[in-house]
Amino acid sequence: MITWRFPEGDIMKTRKLPVLIATLTSVAVLAACSGGTKAGSEGGSGGSKTLTLASVDQGSIEDVVKAFEKANPGVKVRYTTSGADQYQQQIRTQLSSGTAPDVMSVWPGNGNPGATYVLAKPGYLRDLSDQPWAAKMPDAIKSVAQYEGKTYNAIFGQNGIGAVYNEQAMKKAGLTPPETWTDLLAFCKAAKAKGTPAFALGNQDNWVTQLVLYALVATTVYGQDRDFDQKMQAGQATFAKSLWTTALDKYLTMEKTGCFQKNPLGTNYEASQQLAATGQTLGIVQGNWVIALLEAKNPKATFILKALPANDSPSETIIPAAAGAGYGVNAKAKNEELALKFVNFVMSPEGMNLFVEKQGGLPSLPDTGFKADPSLAELSEFIGSDRTVPFLDQLWPNGKVQQTMLSGLQEIFSGQSTPKKLLDEMDADYKAGS
Amino acid sequence: MTLAPHEQLPDHDRPPDPQPVAARVRRARTAPPWWFALPALLLFAFVVLVPSVRGVHYAFTDWDGLDPDFSFVGLDHFSEMFHDADAKQAIWHTLLIAVSITVVQNALGLLLALGVDTAIKSRNVLRVFLFAPAVITPIVTAYLWRNLLGPDGAVNSLFGAMGLGDWRQDWLGSPGLALWAVVGVTVWQFAGYSMVIFLAGLQSVPREVHEAAAIDGAGPVRRFWSVTRPLLAPALTINLMLSIIGGIKLFDQVYALTGGGPGHATDTISTLIYKDAFTLGEFGYSIALAVVLTIIVAVVSTGQYAVLSRNERAAS
Repeated sequence: MITWRFPEGDIMKTRKLPVLIATLTSVAVLAACSGGTKAGSEGGSGGSKTLTLASVDQGSIEDVVKAFEKANPGVKVRYTTSGADQYQQQIRTQLSSGTAPDVMSVWPGNGNPGATYVLAKPGYLRDLSDQPWAAKMPDAIKSVAQYEGKTYNAIFGQNGIGAVYNEQAMKKAGLTPPETWTDLLAFCKAAKAKGTPAFALGNQDNWVTQLVLYALVATTVYGQDRDFDQKMQAGQATFAKSLWTTALDKYLTMEKTGCFQKNPLGTNYEASQQLAATGQTLGIVQGNWVIALLEAKNPKATFILKALPANDSPSETIIPAAAGAGYGVNAKAKNEELALKFVNFVMSPEGMNLFVEKQGGLPSLPDTGFKADPSLAELSEFIGSDRTVPFLDQLWPNGKVQQTMLSGLQEIFSGQSTPKKLLDEMDADYKAGS
Repeated sequence: MTLAPHEQLPDHDRPPDPQPVAARVRRARTAPPWWFALPALLLFAFVVLVPSVRGVHYAFTDWDGLDPDFSFVGLDHFSEMFHDADAKQAIWHTLLIAVSITVVQNALGLLLALGVDTAIKSRNVLRVFLFAPAVITPIVTAYLWRNLLGPDGAVNSLFGAMGLGDWRQDWLGSPGLALWAVVGVTVWQFAGYSMVIFLAGLQSVPREVHEAAAIDGAGPVRRFWSVTRPLLAPALTINLMLSIIGGIKLFDQVYALTGGGPGHATDTISTLIYKDAFTLGEFGYSIALAVVLTIIVAVVSTGQYAVLSRNERAAS
């Protein structure tokens, strides 16, 4: 046992020591913190040859960075890649604390926390309207790369959602891709009878739940009315009183007809790819990005993307096709010159083709000399003939509408909600505005 | 360091003190002064207290996590919670999960501890195996179980192979089962952890007391109830505290196993905080939820501690 006791007479003197230690410690702490920020800012601008970059394009950005460094000798790109969820969380924190990289992934339009409108509005992105490619963007892309008439997002690629078929499995089943809604249901029944359901559905990951619905809404709603979004924005239309009800009903009809494998809510994205890649289902309703993933899971198989029919006149079919995530430049970039150089490289034929080839998409600008993969011939044709609509959420006023839809669809599939309830809730969230 | 002011010693143990009372009191004051703790307190304040308090202030604003311009909204977020079906559901799920985990994990942990405290041969190996899941990161075990519990996963295959085809379930995809699957996975992982704490408690029970009770004619059940149980009280207190706090804060397992789904069927306060902040950008509201979570943890744990330590005193 230790008993604390100071020599009685020296007490005043001794007391000064801990005070001194305490003071020194707190000063050291303060110094360490201020030193940290200082070191950080110095490190960031360390030479005009270093570019910092945060990206969600895992698997393709690596090659683009390599090509960029090769084209600009002496330049070093320090980059990080992460999944969308994690990225959106991190980039917000970095932007609001002033530690964001020079160039960063930015989603088109609105509706998610890393989207163009969301980041451009508080002034975090540099205006890129003066860059050579900005004027060349097609209108459909421009509408989601711009905020209040200024371009903020270097969107390099576009993607579409459709039915991706496993060609070997289709051949084995002796079936061909359906072109009308009636054919689709017959196709599902025939596929089910052969023991290989038509489509894999990974609804456990809630973002997957929307894809079939988007594919159906494109034709059902926008096939009738290309100005549906303008009407929604003007308050002249609602989800609940539009053909969205028909589209949602068709989604559930597909489920009842047995178009999907059993237990879609217990099946995740990964597992659904496995089913389609190995021919346990004939295909999967997904974005074209899934093709590269399917090929990785089964290198022997070939895949083809077709529009998912939603009515009986094939000429009216529309594919949801939209700009993918692009790159924005930090308004407070430490190396703005290099940042612009990088973005312009991404938008050059070389950078763009490198990106879309790796990702299995299509370039956003015409005349890049890009030869689309044969699996995407139909998507390319639809884009060329203006038979596409942007992904539906890209023009919604806030992120909540989509989140409500995603969890609502899971609830409908598990009997906890009804289509009417879901569309009413989406209307309420839409009306809440931005 | 151990501090033992003279006053705490029983009178008969203390050597006669020749000094007058006033001097003794002054001597007592020479126990280490409070500002000895100052460096630690400053560091704590700087790293934990100040950021937390500054964070709480956002609960009363409409900050979106990004925009430097935001306004003060008072108690709006807190009153909104009472009308938010998702929040109410999440609070209910949180309490349900916390209570089930606490009960099942500790019951199982105690049984395991009693089991491996016996003289069986493989007890050391068993202890290691049973504790092993607790040292793995929860997110890893959760992803593992997400595959095991899939429609074609190992669990269903096992039931199929055992001829129990009817037991096959969509464990994570049905709203009625998903919550219990989360509880099950968490208990699987941490029952070993509770076991270790109980085991330490069991081994501190003196053998003589057991022997004495046995000589007095007490059977195994009676010996457990009258000898082991009261002496296990401190271990029980710690275990209950840890599991209930862990249960209320549960995030990793839920997020990796179900993401709060299907729909909102397994959303807890923690997953809701995460979603509201990072997918919807409603930082103000989400911080308000976090404040409520903190209050719930504080109230439940102090309440529980008060009850348990009273029982502990009564038992000893």
